[in-house]
Amino acid sequence: MNVDLIDLGNESRNAGSFVSFLDQICARFELDHAAYAGTNPVASAVHGYVNYPDAWKHHYAENGLHRIDPTLLVASRSIAPVDWSRLDHTEGFEKTFRDARDFGITNRGLTIPVRGPYGDIGMLSVTRDCSVTEWEKLSRQILPDLQSVAVHVHDTVMRSDVLSRALRYPALSTREREILQWIAAGKSQQDVGDILGISHRTVEVHLRSGREKLYALTTPQAVGRAIMLGLIYPL
Amino acid sequence: MIIIVDALNKDRFGDLLDEMFKLRARVFGDRLGWEVEITNGREIDQFDRLDPAYVIGLDDEGHVVSCVRALQTTGPHMLSDVFQVLLDGEPPLRSATLWESTRFCVDTQRLCRDGNTMKAVSMATCELMIGSLEYARRSGISDIITVIDPVVNRVLKRSDNAPYDYVGSTKQMGKVPAMAALLDCTEERINRVRAFAGITHDVFANEDTVRDLLDARQLAFAAQLGESSEWMAAILSGSEEALPPVLPEDIQDYCRAQIETAQTEEEHAAALRLVAVLVRERVHPAMHRLVFQS
Repeated sequence: MNVDLIDLGNESRNAGSFVSFLDQICARFELDHAAYAGTNPVASAVHGYVNYPDAWKHHYAENGLHRIDPTLLVASRSIAPVDWSRLDHTEGFEKTFRDARDFGITNRGLTIPVRGPYGDIGMLSVTRDCSVTEWEKLSRQILPDLQSVAVHVHDTVMRSDVLSRALRYPALSTREREILQWIAAGKSQQDVGDILGISHRTVEVHLRSGREKLYALTTPQAVGRAIMLGLIYPL
Repeated sequence: MIIIVDALNKDRFGDLLDEMFKLRARVFGDRLGWEVEITNGREIDQFDRLDPAYVIGLDDEGHVVSCVRALQTTGPHMLSDVFQVLLDGEPPLRSATLWESTRFCVDTQRLCRDGNTMKAVSMATCELMIGSLEYARRSGISDIITVIDPVVNRVLKRSDNAPYDYVGSTKQMGKVPAMAALLDCTEERINRVRAFAGITHDVFANEDTVRDLLDARQLAFAAQLGESSEWMAAILSGSEEALPPVLPEDIQDYCRAQIETAQTEEEHAAALRLVAVLVRERVHPAMHRLVFQS
């Protein structure tokens, strides 16, 4: 992914850095607001970060909207991103977004549900106030990258306690390691495919998986982290 | 036509899911001999309890003719939890833009009825492949890893939808070999399958249209039974004393057994029709007598 987002894996992890990451997501993908919510059964913790205006945050909390908000409760059970238009017939949606307009919050948005390996579930929600056509075009365009970003945020948040971090030590396959090793040696993806006798697409799918297992957004970050963890050799 | 059923709309399409689990029992349990758990004629495993998404193919009457199940690879899925042996002990791929698809099957039995040929099977198969690829693509997914047997692998190749690679190796899983294949969700691939099958239309059906179709079918089914429903109710409840002695006891027992052991909706309907016919033939004269006597 060609991103100008700061990789969260290197950040000292605090609420501020997560919220500023949400700001970056909005800037990068032309969005108004972003919110992340996740539950970690290993640490029995619930995490939430949003860059909504304070007034809306207070209103949301005071009225306990998280107990009825279908963009959290319903969307978390999907495997695919849920466009909020799919939820607007639900009772909770009407209640949640009835007041939202007064706070300048649009009901045009989508939620990306993330499932982790230990029963952990996360949701990255994003909004943008625009026409339906514009929204459909934008969401189609940003979905693939947004999917990766959602998993990146989720994995990072889930690793914020010691036990979870130990459980989530990157388990790279031999294929993923050898591809990263050749990339570290300065080979292009095309070269790596030729050297290993596999298709460009196979290199790509393993590289993407390797990157995400290493909690990296870019290949150089992944290579750096793999060296640091002793999974590949520095050359 | 294709419909996606997941945790968000399964309350509306419980009947479709039930039919799908029965199809899976027939295909994976009876026909292919996979080591799957079948309860009450339905094949349901632990992954069905994780809110997967199902891509389901329907015929014009709204009957399930094909299905496949999708899960995220970031969470629990078959390759991470039960099919590791296929990966030669390696950890599975895990990516936000990679889905796992399992339990791909087509109801060849239903599709080949009424003199239909394998052409119908091929069309249903391609429609399901197009539906799965398009659903994944519009969800921002770039690749699918699919657990299949060599037969499905050949079907994919023959439909101009050959996997671009495999992960791990083919292994014997119970009576049949299984493998993990990679498919990209690119427009090129979708167009290739569409061109192969000559399918140019939107394969997805509107949810309301499907619901209406299913409801209409159920109404028609109920109407067909209408006339004999009273007898049916009496026979099914086992209260034969209440019945005028129109059907000999052994025939009643036979009818009851037929109804109870029916495996499919058709068999069930056929068993009920049989009762209706028997009742009409034998009962009406008896009814007349009863009426006269009173």
